[in-house]
This record gives sequence, C-alpha cells and structure tokens, in this order.
Amino acid sequence: MPNKTISVRIDGELVTAREGETILDVARANGKEIPTLCHLQGLSAVGACRVCVVELTGTGRLQPACSTPVQEGMSIRTASAKLTLYRRMAVELLLVERNHICSSCVSNGHCELQSLAQRLGVTHVRYAYNNPQLPVDMTHPRFVFDHNRCILCTRCVRVCAEIEGANVWAVASRGIHSHIVCDLDEEWGASRNCTSCGKCVQACPTGALAEKGHAVHEMVKAGEVVSQLAAKRLTRPANGR
Amino acid sequence: MRNDAAGLPDAHERLLIDQAIAAQRNRPGALLGILEMVQEANPRKYLSAAALAYIAEKTGLPPAQVYSVATFYALFNLTPQGENVVCVCRGTACHTRGSRDLLEKVSLDLGLDWDAMSGTGEADKLALATPDRSFTLRTVACFGQCAMAPVVEVNHRVLAHVNERTLHREVRARARERK
Repeated sequence: MPNKTISVRIDGELVTAREGETILDVARANGKEIPTLCHLQGLSAVGACRVCVVELTGTGRLQPACSTPVQEGMSIRTASAKLTLYRRMAVELLLVERNHICSSCVSNGHCELQSLAQRLGVTHVRYAYNNPQLPVDMTHPRFVFDHNRCILCTRCVRVCAEIEGANVWAVASRGIHSHIVCDLDEEWGASRNCTSCGKCVQACPTGALAEKGHAVHEMVKAGEVVSQLAAKRLTRPANGR
Repeated sequence: MRNDAAGLPDAHERLLIDQAIAAQRNRPGALLGILEMVQEANPRKYLSAAALAYIAEKTGLPPAQVYSVATFYALFNLTPQGENVVCVCRGTACHTRGSRDLLEKVSLDLGLDWDAMSGTGEADKLALATPDRSFTLRTVACFGQCAMAPVVEVNHRVLAHVNERTLHREVRARARERK
C-alpha cells in the first residue's frame, strides 16, 4: 500500500506523515521552520548545503532534513544550540569559499545566502577567505553567470535538467575545484542547448545567475515559479492530461 | 576548452568512438567505459574537445554531463600527454619523506614552471607536459605503497625509496631512450 500513514515526533509534538515524505516536508506541513539553501520545492533533493540539518534521537549524527525520509517512530529536533552552531558553520564556509561581497553584488538584499546569514546571526566568519580568481561569463545576451557568487547548490543544474530538459549545466571537476560548466565548458552565449528560458536565473539563490539590464533593487528572483511549474507538471496526469 | 569543440574528430578517431559506443551499448554507466576506451586508443592518451563533443552527440548524453564525468575522474586527461609519464605520490607518508622536494626537483629538471604549479594549489590533481611533449608530470594522492615512501611511478613502473639523485637518473635515462 503506497503512502502508508506513519507518526513521528517533531520537537516533541506527535504528528502524522505519509511514508516517503522527507523530514522537511513534514516539518513545513506542521509549521516548523527549517532553514534551507540548496533545496527548492519541485526539484530533486541533493543535500549539498547542509543548512537543513536536524537532530534525530538515537543517532549522534545530524541528518539533512531535505533528503532524509521520515520513518515510523522517528523523533526529530529542528532547533537546538548544536544545530545553530552547525548551520552557522555551513554558511560561514560558503561565505569564505568564494567572493561573496554583498555591497557589490547584483543580488544585495534579495539573496538567500545573505538572508540566511542574517537569520543565523552570522556577523563575521572565523575562517580565512579563499579569495579565488574566478571568471564572469557575460556572453549570453540576456543573462550573466558570475562564478564568484556561486555556492554550488546545483539548483540551476537541476532545474535545467528536470524542468526545462535542456541539460545545459553540470558540475565539473571536484572538491575545491568544482565549478558549474555550460556544455563542454563553453561560453554560455555559444550554447546550442540553452533555450534562454531563464529558469536557472530564477532558481539561483544568490547573485551567481542574474539578468542583464536590471538594477539591484529589481533583481528579485522568483524561485516559487519553478516550484509552481513542477507542481503543475505533477498534477497533469491526474487531471487526465 | 573554450569553444574550440566545434570541429569533428578525424575519421579514424570517429571510427574508434563509434566502436567504443557499440561495445558499451545497453550497459548502465556506459559513458565511463566509452571514455576509457577512447582515451586508451588515442596516441596522446587524452580526450580532445572534439572527441567529447562527438561522444555526447552519438550517445545522446548532454555535453555538460560528459564533461562533468571526464573532469571528475583523475584518470581522464583533457590535454595531450607526454610520451613518458612521471607520477609523484603526494600521499601523507610520501609527503613526510620529502615528496614535495622531489616534485619540485623533477619539475625543474624537466623545465616545467614550478611556481605556476605550486601556486595554484592544484597539486592534488596536477598534470603538466613539457613543451616538446616528451614528459608529463603528474601527482597522485596515494599509490598504496606507503612502506616504500617516497614513491614515484615512471611509465607505470613504481620506484621505491626515491631520492633526488635516483629520480634525476631515471628521468635522464628515459630522455636518452627517446633520442
């Protein structure tokens, strides 16, 4: 029987959930806020940013809420001093990895990384900045890819593959050298696969992907549009296409 | 590899790629096998941009995914390799026995740009070829021969307890062989 009902405890509260749902789904459905960054409703979960970690009773290891399915009898803590510590550390490490200089960023004020840092009270970072020298791809007529602001959440990769189906983006190399590439590490403007739909720009949580010709205060991303598209696609077969 | 992928590989390489794809047909994860066969068949032991583009086209895989796989694995080279491959182990055991100095010495011996190499911090995945393509210098995370540290592999032959002199002699012997 699919979607069996199970019960779990979230912050001590007994709630019902369906089998197959993630901890994040259940927590949000019950009004518990868990911060997320790489997660975007409607796209597959990757658990890349580790900002949504939660505590599970019976295991010392923190689990990402976005990619851990709920199980019968699970007891979950969504907020604690330990979790704040680790979430803050995850954000700090994202901030030092590349050049996140809010004052000169197109997404200043509309950036999920910036909001999250503020929400978690990250006033400074305790690690040395990497200060890498990274390129900015301005070749696309409408959009810009600034690798300096990229946090490798892979939302653009997933939205392009799963919603648009163009498969323009991928993560190349590995470890600290990982970076997003367009086709065979080509210029974005020369990509034959890109449909210029702009979904990657809307999905991007930071200023890495931006639209040209917009002032900073206009650079409001519409990630929820991606979620709506995904939801519509899901309901279509049920309505008899 | 900036937009130089436009060209097609030559007829011989195209045939090789077609054969590799046919050999791996209907196998999950066929791309790895295809890339390995194509690189092995290449006289310079590398995957050219044209070859990658052709593989993507023939398998129907997104070019970005092909590139992603080819850059993830240290096994795949995207630049032509030299005739002789010197591979210095940069594992912990070899590092404590002086493999960094060995790497510096051999790169100077081969006339490679040591500053460019050490400055990038890319020492964990490094592959530099001499301009005349006679040597390629690589590093590896560990050969699993830590008891014999420091270890250097020359043309797939592992040399144990290497010091600067033995390594220099080995490199000179390979260079003389070539002449």
